[in-house]
Amino acid sequence: MLKVDVYVARGVCRVVLNGELDVETVAQLQEVVGKAGEHTLEVDLSGVSFVDSTGLKSLLDISNDWRQKGGRMLILRPQPDVAEVMRLVGLDRLLAQNTAPGGEER
Amino acid sequence: MQRCLECAKKELDRPCVECRYFIQPSPLRRVPSPPVRVFLEDEHGRQYPAHILALNTTEFGLETEAPVPGRYVIRLLESLWIEVAGVPFKGKNNVHVFDILRVHRKQGTARRLSKEEYQLLAGSAGELIQEISRHLPEHLQDLVREKLLAEVEKSELINALKVGKVMKYEGGRFRYLSGQADLDLPMEEAEKLMRQVTRQAEHRREVIISADGQKVFDLHGVPFDHRSGGLLAFDITEVIEKERKMHRQEMQAYREAIAAVTGGRLYLVNGEEMEKVVSEGIELARGEVRRTHDIPEARRAMREALPVLDSRRRHAITLCLTEALANALKHAGGGCWQARQSGDTVRIIVQDRGPGIKNSELARATLMQHYSTKNSLGCGFTLMLYYADYLYLNTGPSGTALALDFGVVPADRLKQDQ
Repeated sequence: MLKVDVYVARGVCRVVLNGELDVETVAQLQEVVGKAGEHTLEVDLSGVSFVDSTGLKSLLDISNDWRQKGGRMLILRPQPDVAEVMRLVGLDRLLAQNTAPGGEER
Repeated sequence: MQRCLECAKKELDRPCVECRYFIQPSPLRRVPSPPVRVFLEDEHGRQYPAHILALNTTEFGLETEAPVPGRYVIRLLESLWIEVAGVPFKGKNNVHVFDILRVHRKQGTARRLSKEEYQLLAGSAGELIQEISRHLPEHLQDLVREKLLAEVEKSELINALKVGKVMKYEGGRFRYLSGQADLDLPMEEAEKLMRQVTRQAEHRREVIISADGQKVFDLHGVPFDHRSGGLLAFDITEVIEKERKMHRQEMQAYREAIAAVTGGRLYLVNGEEMEKVVSEGIELARGEVRRTHDIPEARRAMREALPVLDSRRRHAITLCLTEALANALKHAGGGCWQARQSGDTVRIIVQDRGPGIKNSELARATLMQHYSTKNSLGCGFTLMLYYADYLYLNTGPSGTALALDFGVVPADRLKQDQ
């Protein structure tokens, strides 16, 4: 189960996820993101307890899409278990602290 | 030489082909049936139709109106023509022996027919070629003849290597053309194949096992027209045996390589070993997955069934279950899972009835990191390989089984240890 909330302000689209991001729910995220047109996309994972490889791949695809369009995508506040999985498959580079040094986003 | 003259007077109707003085009976004497049609061309370019009634590698027995004695050329193909001279005292009426003077071919000239040319004519592949190409528009004839000859040459190769058998099929009957004569084919199956080939006018290939299960044949049927065709048969029993042996060796090499690369954690096991792996310990939970919605359900059931554990371990087990189930769903349309416990080990098992992972894909599918960017299977396996203590994989054309072991030192005991 996944709850998806979207907040848009000053050229930033923040998607706040709650629940599990996996092969079953990944389409919900894709649908919301497909409608977003802002320069920066932030995906808040603080409420996500579980991400599987399908979810990870989807995050990677979204990030690539955004970069191609000249924008950028950041992943915020993953839980420790999720962060570990992201690091394992090399997706930790999408995390906010890595891609936005110096905290200029906040 | 008197004999033929006498025969012409006394026994006018006696066919020369049956006469042992015409073309001497020998292992190389052949009587093509029906006779092969050719043309004799004299030095002025005049053409006389002729039939080859009998032949060996140095003589033809021809039925023709061409004057004897006389020298002629028989053009069989663009690149194959034969100089012959009629022998007046061998034969009678319009049937005479013609000596082969020279055989001209691309590669040079010879005094006699090569084995291939001889068999082309004797085995009546030549007739076949003539017959088939005769009804075609002229500009296509040479092309078709060339193609057919290439086919025949291929079958000659088979003949030379003694590895196969070439037969002509016509109206329900087979005629041996060349190759391995003693090949004991399942004729009933061969006929069934040829019936389909001629009816549908298309090439077909079938691998057939003999009734006693001892031999494996590779059959190729090529249609000529609506009632005739060619059958090419190979005994591939030994090849299959060799393939099996190679497959076993390959598997062994894979097992060792994969075990080594994974530090002895991933085992490729055979069906028997897997039976044991999936039945050890006591069952905690089980379920089935047919669509993506079943996967979070399986995760929930798994969490409920697990003993008290630290959250990282719980997360790892449910993640690996998810990955294994997603693979089964993606590659096999679904599968079933179970969780078992023996002592301090929880084992999750996912089995499917999909087509299996090919040997050639196995290493890539299981070992390559970041295969993830292209394919979620590899990524999933990377995760399983990271989190599970031991992995057992059995895969084949009837399905794949994967078992993952996790050490589950209970959370309370872990605290005591610390």
